[in-house]
Amino acid sequence: MFINFFYTLKEAGIPVSPTSFLTLHKALDSGLINSLTDIYTCSRTILVKSERYFDLFDQVFAHYFEGAEMPDLDAIELDEMTRALLDEWLQDPQVLADALGIDESEISKLTPEELLEYFKERLKEQTGRHAGGNKWIGTGGTSPVGHSGYHPGGMRVGGVSRNKSAVKVALERRYKDYSLSGPLTQAMVGEALKRLRNMVPAGPKDQIDIDETIYQTMRNGGEIEILFTRSLKDRLKIILMIDNGGWSMDPYIAVVQTIFNYARAQFKEVKTFFFHNTIYGTVWEDPPRIRKPKKVEEFTRIDPETRLIFIGDASMAPYELMATDGSIYITERSGKPSIEHLKSLAENFSHSVWLNPVPQSMWGYTHTISAIYSIFPMFELTIDGLEKAIAHLMAK
Amino acid sequence: MKSNNTDERFRGAQKYVLDEELAKIVNISMALEMPLLLKGEPGTGKTMLAHAIAESLEMPLIVLNVKSSMKLVEALYQYDTLTRLNDSRFGDSTRDVSNIEEYIKMGKIGQAFSTDVKTILLIDEIDKADTDFQDDMLDVLDQMEFDIIEIDKTVKSRQRPVFIITSNAKKDLSDPFLGRCNFHHIAFPDPKMMRKIIKVHFSDIDSKLMESAVSAFYKLRDIDSIEKKPATRELLNWIRALRSDPDFKPKQLVKGDIPYMGTLFKKSQDYEKAVNLTSRRRLI
Repeated sequence: MFINFFYTLKEAGIPVSPTSFLTLHKALDSGLINSLTDIYTCSRTILVKSERYFDLFDQVFAHYFEGAEMPDLDAIELDEMTRALLDEWLQDPQVLADALGIDESEISKLTPEELLEYFKERLKEQTGRHAGGNKWIGTGGTSPVGHSGYHPGGMRVGGVSRNKSAVKVALERRYKDYSLSGPLTQAMVGEALKRLRNMVPAGPKDQIDIDETIYQTMRNGGEIEILFTRSLKDRLKIILMIDNGGWSMDPYIAVVQTIFNYARAQFKEVKTFFFHNTIYGTVWEDPPRIRKPKKVEEFTRIDPETRLIFIGDASMAPYELMATDGSIYITERSGKPSIEHLKSLAENFSHSVWLNPVPQSMWGYTHTISAIYSIFPMFELTIDGLEKAIAHLMAK
Repeated sequence: MKSNNTDERFRGAQKYVLDEELAKIVNISMALEMPLLLKGEPGTGKTMLAHAIAESLEMPLIVLNVKSSMKLVEALYQYDTLTRLNDSRFGDSTRDVSNIEEYIKMGKIGQAFSTDVKTILLIDEIDKADTDFQDDMLDVLDQMEFDIIEIDKTVKSRQRPVFIITSNAKKDLSDPFLGRCNFHHIAFPDPKMMRKIIKVHFSDIDSKLMESAVSAFYKLRDIDSIEKKPATRELLNWIRALRSDPDFKPKQLVKGDIPYMGTLFKKSQDYEKAVNLTSRRRLI
């Protein structure tokens, strides 16, 4: 019974297992299921193991038992793409309007919902990946989606970094990975960061050390000697360096905030500093990067056992990293190329990682990512990457 | 347990408002003898459900509060080495030192297994512990027995307990573990349900107060970027506070004057945000 239903669920992408299907039959046998609603409730509770699939289950169920239209699974993918398009649109309507070959003023009349529909239509029309050309969404070509930086005298004031146009990312469906691993919520970050601990004995001696007690008692020939020890406490020091400047980090603000908030709540000794793109002579304790500067040289005085965590996309113009006076800020001149500062930090702190919100598969396309990758172990800013990074930080 | 035994069906308890779907899920899980895994944000009554089942079916409830450092063995049994050492030295207790069994103390799961009556075993917030905890539990769930290594004895469950497992959705549980459970996600109660819940707790509540409190509560929950949204527990405490204040009038809430915000928002940032918003009357 319902074998087709089972397979429809599987095809729809819900992880259902044969065992649970058998359990469902056991339930049907039990006499507790007497109506369609019962079947619905029971099959869901038995077959579906995560609320993420509840919606999909509802659709499949409606299709199978009530003949409702089967959900268009491609539509879900399209949804993801169009959402990316919308983000891009909100950031720079002109660029996207040009890329799609449509009139910006026409589109701006649409509501966000209509806009989503519109994008969806355009994406459906387009078959296959498109590169070059001047009208469609794609990579390279004369499409204005891409680096549109404005550099008066080498000072950058804005622009969309080329390697990260949301349109391109959407086309190659990179968001799929994220949807699979789920959104990076504070709780999930918390779970991952919990492993970041350095337990050392601290406080009063109030715990009985059983091994030592037994050993001493034996040595005393049976005369009991109870030994106490200190309980273990977390004494890990962490320095968090966050790239909070510029356009390129904008899409990741939410994720970074999540980590930042959690780190502050969880760890007693966490210091946070901010920088833009890369580190020259100075980092700042205040997010606007004005009031509380701290010289990089001063970091050598900090305990080298401190864990150093960078969060940044490491994407910038190569000269920013390599040139002696590469900083995009005219006031920031330290006489050493930024990469030297990074190297000295890496030497000073033996446990350091760089968390990059850019998907790993994209790293090869940006020169500065590879350069920084060779200095700091770099990990993707996903749950998986975070866990790997923490394993690295805790390695002896 | 067979379904035709109507006495043993769960229908809700005095202080617990049960929706029909959940009742069905509880009953089917008991009939199938499968653990029921409950997920949902804090304050949706996951833990309360176990209490309610225990109350309505008159079964003893054993609660295992999972802690982050917990190993499964602690939940099964503990071998009290220190007492034994002490006894062996001074020998002034009635226990037989050569019999290790006298120094084995049952943990919560062990207790649930070794009683003669059917119990409800609530494993609260299983996601707090390491994944090892779940993996180790697979065997126990499958076999309904565990070994006490020190005395080479197997403890078998006499009456299969009803397992209720809760998780705060902090992280996904492992697949094999999920495979052995029935799953339900308790959504946050909608205003209609919430009114029922309030009625259960405050049977004599003034309807005007309830209406304005509920609508203000859901608006407060909607404030963006609140880290810990107020849940049912907070709402009930808040209403309790409102009711005990003789100067309070339900009209105040409609006007956006919300007293005792501290009972709703427990984090200082959230509190400030909410107070700011409401005082500017942007909210209501």
